[in-house]
Amino acid sequence: MTMGAAAVTVADAPRERAGVGAVYRVEIAKIRAQLLPRAAAVICVLAPFAFTIFINTQSSVPADSLFGRWVQSSGFATPFVLLGFAGIAGFPLLASVVAGDIFASEDRQSTWKTVLTRSCSRGQIFVGKTLAAMTFSVVMVALLGASSTIAGMLVVGRQPLVGLSGALLDQTHAITLIVQSYALALAPTLAFTCLAILFSVATRNSMAGVIGAPVVALLMVGLSLMGGGVVIRSILLTSPFEAWHGLQIPSATSKAIWIGLLVSLAYGALSLIVAWRSFRRRDFAGDGQAPFRWSTVGRAVVATVVLVAILLVGTLLSKTWITSSHLEASVSETVGNLIVVQQEILGRALDPAAVKVYPYCKRESVISGTSSGPADDWTCQVFVDGPHVSRLAADYSIAVRPDGCYTADAPASLVGPLHMKTPDGGTTINPLSAFDSCMIPP
Amino acid sequence: MTLDLALDVNGLQKAFGDVRAIDGLDLTVAAGQVHGLVGPNGAGKTTLLRILFGLVAPDAGTVSLLGHEPAEAGERPTEGVGGFVEEPRFYPYLTARRNLELMADLDGGGDTRIDEVLSTVRLDDQADRKVGGFSSGMRQRLGLAASLLRRPRLLLLDEPTVGLDPTGARDMLSVVKTLSADGVTVIVSSHNMSELEGVCDGVTVMRDGRSVWHGSMERLRAESPAPAHHLETTDDVRATELAKSDRRLEIVADPGGWLTVSADREVLDAYVVALGKAGIAVRRLELLMTALESMFFSLTGERADPVPAAREPDEIPAAR
Repeated sequence: MTMGAAAVTVADAPRERAGVGAVYRVEIAKIRAQLLPRAAAVICVLAPFAFTIFINTQSSVPADSLFGRWVQSSGFATPFVLLGFAGIAGFPLLASVVAGDIFASEDRQSTWKTVLTRSCSRGQIFVGKTLAAMTFSVVMVALLGASSTIAGMLVVGRQPLVGLSGALLDQTHAITLIVQSYALALAPTLAFTCLAILFSVATRNSMAGVIGAPVVALLMVGLSLMGGGVVIRSILLTSPFEAWHGLQIPSATSKAIWIGLLVSLAYGALSLIVAWRSFRRRDFAGDGQAPFRWSTVGRAVVATVVLVAILLVGTLLSKTWITSSHLEASVSETVGNLIVVQQEILGRALDPAAVKVYPYCKRESVISGTSSGPADDWTCQVFVDGPHVSRLAADYSIAVRPDGCYTADAPASLVGPLHMKTPDGGTTINPLSAFDSCMIPP
Repeated sequence: MTLDLALDVNGLQKAFGDVRAIDGLDLTVAAGQVHGLVGPNGAGKTTLLRILFGLVAPDAGTVSLLGHEPAEAGERPTEGVGGFVEEPRFYPYLTARRNLELMADLDGGGDTRIDEVLSTVRLDDQADRKVGGFSSGMRQRLGLAASLLRRPRLLLLDEPTVGLDPTGARDMLSVVKTLSADGVTVIVSSHNMSELEGVCDGVTVMRDGRSVWHGSMERLRAESPAPAHHLETTDDVRATELAKSDRRLEIVADPGGWLTVSADREVLDAYVVALGKAGIAVRRLELLMTALESMFFSLTGERADPVPAAREPDEIPAAR
């Protein structure tokens, strides 16, 4: 470059152009250097170990959670239990740690003018930051999945696990399902990442960016707990966190999984489009984080209340898909599989096709009419016919949750005690005494 | 390709709500020059620089930087344009060196001049300290280092000496001169006319988003009124009478109890000698504002601070 006093020669040596890759590398370097993301990663690694060790020192188990009653019996139950917990607000919070702060932190530190005066366009910066936030979310989900699996295997052991369909899951099958289940959780986690990015861009406030998405998740969980029909449940972004249930039930179609993916994609895309439009048009005319304004909070609260009210009305008015016929179909399949498992434990081979299960399910509180809806007063009278189990009858008390999953318990006088002896003199859990399963939405 | 103009701004407008930050600004800066943007706070200097950097989209008007017209805010910043706006800020949890490495990455990477630019701004011994512990002046110097990494042909510096001690300010302006000698066009904004006096080839005085004066520093000096001084004597009444005998002197009794004398240096020297010969002792003679500052205040409509602050006093010892 040669310059005179009055003229500039503009023929520069060609220079490598910065792009999305450069922004991504810079953002990853920043994430790695910050305390909060590192702390989140450490928690994802250590928390499963702490949980597993703690739960195995207790006399009781979290029996109201899927696989909760198995956490002291099989190490493979731990990742499923934690997946259930994380789907409530854990993954949205983990996703928000970086995504909710990745744009707002530039406002907080007044560094937008530093970043935007380099050689990258706003589009490249937006994409690079988004990819970095998504990478963090994926790593957190993977860390939690891997850590909980390893913690369960090391602390409890590699005993086979009874799956949601009542079938026995050996080590290979269990690990495959764990990987698939956590992979499915990635879709809604990434959607919450995009939602957190929207909060981060729109509010220009780190606190609002980080807590926004988890609050939305808790609201959605609250709505889903109120029951409701398939449509309302389907449009809630927390519902795809339950899609992994279907992986363990052979009769389930992949419809719920596809709907979960589409809902996640819709939330993610919409959030990113709105965030990008806001970011692209923004004037960076001042420094510092957006000041806290009660008027802004008030508008956000009003908008949220209106939205929640609409969804709530829809939830309450829509017809539930949880009916006695659905429950009977699920119980029939599950108990049939459990009987095969029980007989295998006792050393008796049994052809699953030879086992006939006839359940009759109803809610205790319903005097007349059809029983339906999530509740803990369901009972199922189950009659079983087949080799070795001829004329077996059992009354199960069943608590059905709004997501269609349920826990079933039967008195020991009918199905035998909780623990049963194996032919080699050992003791194992009687799979028929209590079990977890899920109905799959139509 | 050669350029005559490094910056060409025509009819630029920008409003924030009801406030017209830039109001029909026209501005040209010749390539290779050091050009000062001067004006009081709120004159529109920083908004103009933000528009030039693409941080803010103008409502109307055109901007050409190094012959390129940035399409709109949000596009990739014009290659060859560097600098900073307001106080440069960096990631506080990273060291100075790491911050510069990341900035270099955002410029395309592979820049091996980090040690060189750190040395230029005299931060080489602080390179591995986290920026969170830096003073305002150190961040200012790091901002210049980050700007130099872009190998700018047009350097935009917003109040570059704010927060710097006198030595740091002198160093900063020295770097500006060096860059200018290498052919880099530099645009420096400041609300302090005197600090730009020895650096700039040209200057634009801004007020209310408009250019109220634009031209070379030489022309500004020629058009500037005489510098003003505070004067305290043993006999202010006779000193005033003596001043009135010379039409080149302008003297006003200040309500604060002293005299304000406006005159060129030679005339003032002769007046002080005359005071001595008349048996009037000068107790205090203090520069109130330089000729350029006088011009600045008359152009911008600002009032001079009655008590000179944070300035090296141009005093003569009190005569007793």
